[in-house]
Amino acid sequence: MPDLIQLAQALVNGVGVGLVYGLVGIGFCVIYNASGIVNFAQGVFVMLGGMLAHTLLTRAGLPMPVAAVLATVIVAAIGVAIQLLVVSPMWQRGTSMFAIILATLAVQIMIERITILSLGDQPRTYDNFTPGGPLRLGPITIDYQLFWVLGGGALMVAALWLFFTRTRIGRALRACSQNAEAAALLGIPVGRMLLLSFALSAALGSAAGILITPTQYTAYSIDGPFGVNGFIAAIIGGFGSAPGALAGGILLGAAQAVAVVLFGAGYRNVAALVIMLLVLLLFPSGVFNATRSKA
Amino acid sequence: MTGAQWPTEGPNKDQVKEMYMSLKTTLLATAIALAATAQAARAEDSFKIGSALGLTGYAATGDRNWRDGLQLAADALNAKGGILGRKVEIIVEDNRSQPQDAVVAYRKMLSSDQVNAFDSGCVSAGNMAAASFVARAQVPMLLCSILPQKPEEQAWAFSFLPPPTFEIDARYGYLRDRTQIRKVGLLIDPTPYSQLMKGFATRLAPQYGLEIVAEETYKPDDSDVNVQLGRMNAAGAGAVVKLGQGGSTVTVAKNIRQLGLDKMVLMASTDDGGIFKSASEVLGDRFYFIGSAVQFGDAGPSEKAANADKSNGAAKAAIDAFLTPWVAKYGDRDTGQASRAYDSVMLLAKAATAANSVAGPAIKDAIERVGAYNGAGAVYDFSDKQHVGITKNPYFVGQFVNGRPTVSK
Repeated sequence: MPDLIQLAQALVNGVGVGLVYGLVGIGFCVIYNASGIVNFAQGVFVMLGGMLAHTLLTRAGLPMPVAAVLATVIVAAIGVAIQLLVVSPMWQRGTSMFAIILATLAVQIMIERITILSLGDQPRTYDNFTPGGPLRLGPITIDYQLFWVLGGGALMVAALWLFFTRTRIGRALRACSQNAEAAALLGIPVGRMLLLSFALSAALGSAAGILITPTQYTAYSIDGPFGVNGFIAAIIGGFGSAPGALAGGILLGAAQAVAVVLFGAGYRNVAALVIMLLVLLLFPSGVFNATRSKA
Repeated sequence: MTGAQWPTEGPNKDQVKEMYMSLKTTLLATAIALAATAQAARAEDSFKIGSALGLTGYAATGDRNWRDGLQLAADALNAKGGILGRKVEIIVEDNRSQPQDAVVAYRKMLSSDQVNAFDSGCVSAGNMAAASFVARAQVPMLLCSILPQKPEEQAWAFSFLPPPTFEIDARYGYLRDRTQIRKVGLLIDPTPYSQLMKGFATRLAPQYGLEIVAEETYKPDDSDVNVQLGRMNAAGAGAVVKLGQGGSTVTVAKNIRQLGLDKMVLMASTDDGGIFKSASEVLGDRFYFIGSAVQFGDAGPSEKAANADKSNGAAKAAIDAFLTPWVAKYGDRDTGQASRAYDSVMLLAKAATAANSVAGPAIKDAIERVGAYNGAGAVYDFSDKQHVGITKNPYFVGQFVNGRPTVSK
């Protein structure tokens, strides 16, 4: 019988990490919806967000809010560059989707190497945004940074919802996801929408990286685990559904935490992969899409 | 008009074909001979040291230092004419910290590069995976990692890593002599080195009056170890003895603070100074690490050398010989692994020179006969029965004081 306090503590932390998975998952969805491309360089944006924020904090001496905003803008620009230099030329030549997806994988490896050469291979971290803590609720402790992760995540999801439902550009992006050809016939510049999706997706990943770094470390190599877990989160939620990806991420983070408590640390990834397989077998269009369609 | 008469009967078709084939064969043979000569000349010109390193993946920080230590030694040797008049060439292959990639890297360096010796990084599983065919090829393996497991493989391998028990001795000794902590938790990663340390850590604890109250595992890329730390705390552990390297040390430090474990201390495994510094910034004086003399002090080579052993002039000279060019080239980058990499190449050079040969078996035998060798990172004493070179514990327990690594008093 597991210790209930440990279980509760693990769930608290699992939800925090899961929210970051969810944000990465939304990044996958934004690009996928606009283009059908699964961008395997998504985890790189998380890594770059943390690494650049740290660099701007420590080397340039900028205050955290400025460093965070600047890092996000730079990463969004990197996202745009990937689209312009790699995806767009292949897209315009009618290259198969499979080749474009492989190209994003190559981009991930290339950016990892560039990061090692330019920023170094050392793991690094920075302080919580709010000093002090943790908050103690009886035997359960909640790190202050977790509130920043939760609050920042909620804010980004709300902003995304408003963007997609209340703005012309957001609606245009949704139109592209429904039917790109029809959207083009209606005068929506599909190419620019694709560019925007990469910028948005990179910014989301970067923000996730900036938020999570104070709770662990960042290094050139963290993109892999975050990319994979974000991808699984997107699958759980039904690839393409932003709210589904967010919920999928939280579910995944919580499930991994419970697996560690019940079975040990070695089962963290096993839990993630079992959940993904179950979802693919039982709910091919995602848990939340399936629930919604049944309702 | 008279003139030279062209033969009225030229060679027939078969003769032309035969001549063409003959010419083609001759050209091909010449090309092969030239290529072989060129390759032989290249081989004659250089002494090749192959190195399988985790330049990416969990071992990257340490293995990059290992690579730079090798190159520093090669540069120093080449400035003095190389090894037996041959230029020392370091051939590096990235094994991505994965055993399967290490096997590919070793095979490539054996067959394509035809290296004279290997001097590889700290990915123990990778070195072990390649050890059998490297031993069959009779090429010596100098390693940052532990030795492979089979005796016939160990015969060709030489470890420049302090035995895992030294790490445990240093930390347990400190806990016993300098603290009131008697209950410890072990946090173990799945690498062979850590698993080996785990065995020592469990067996040695009673000898130091310590009780292991929890043994928890983690993976180097885990985003948190809160559950494991919570269990250790519930079991009454006052110290976490971490058996494993990499950025996870920073995560563990962060998690200790996040869980509000205000009295728990963290004692890290041997690793890179940059990681120690990051973890120290999180936990302050509750973070301890182990390092050799060359890693302590910050005023310059001489002060670091003085930390080693004031009575040992040879050790001081060795540290100075390594640190002066290292600091000039890399500033305050960590020296723990780089110094041992440097030592390994210097010892290899000494052995090859003594053997007056670049053949694998001769070098292997010569390494076993070098005897006690004062290096920058430690003293090494290999023999035919002793392939773990470091026999005297080189570790000190340290902390960061005012941002500088300092031996903890």
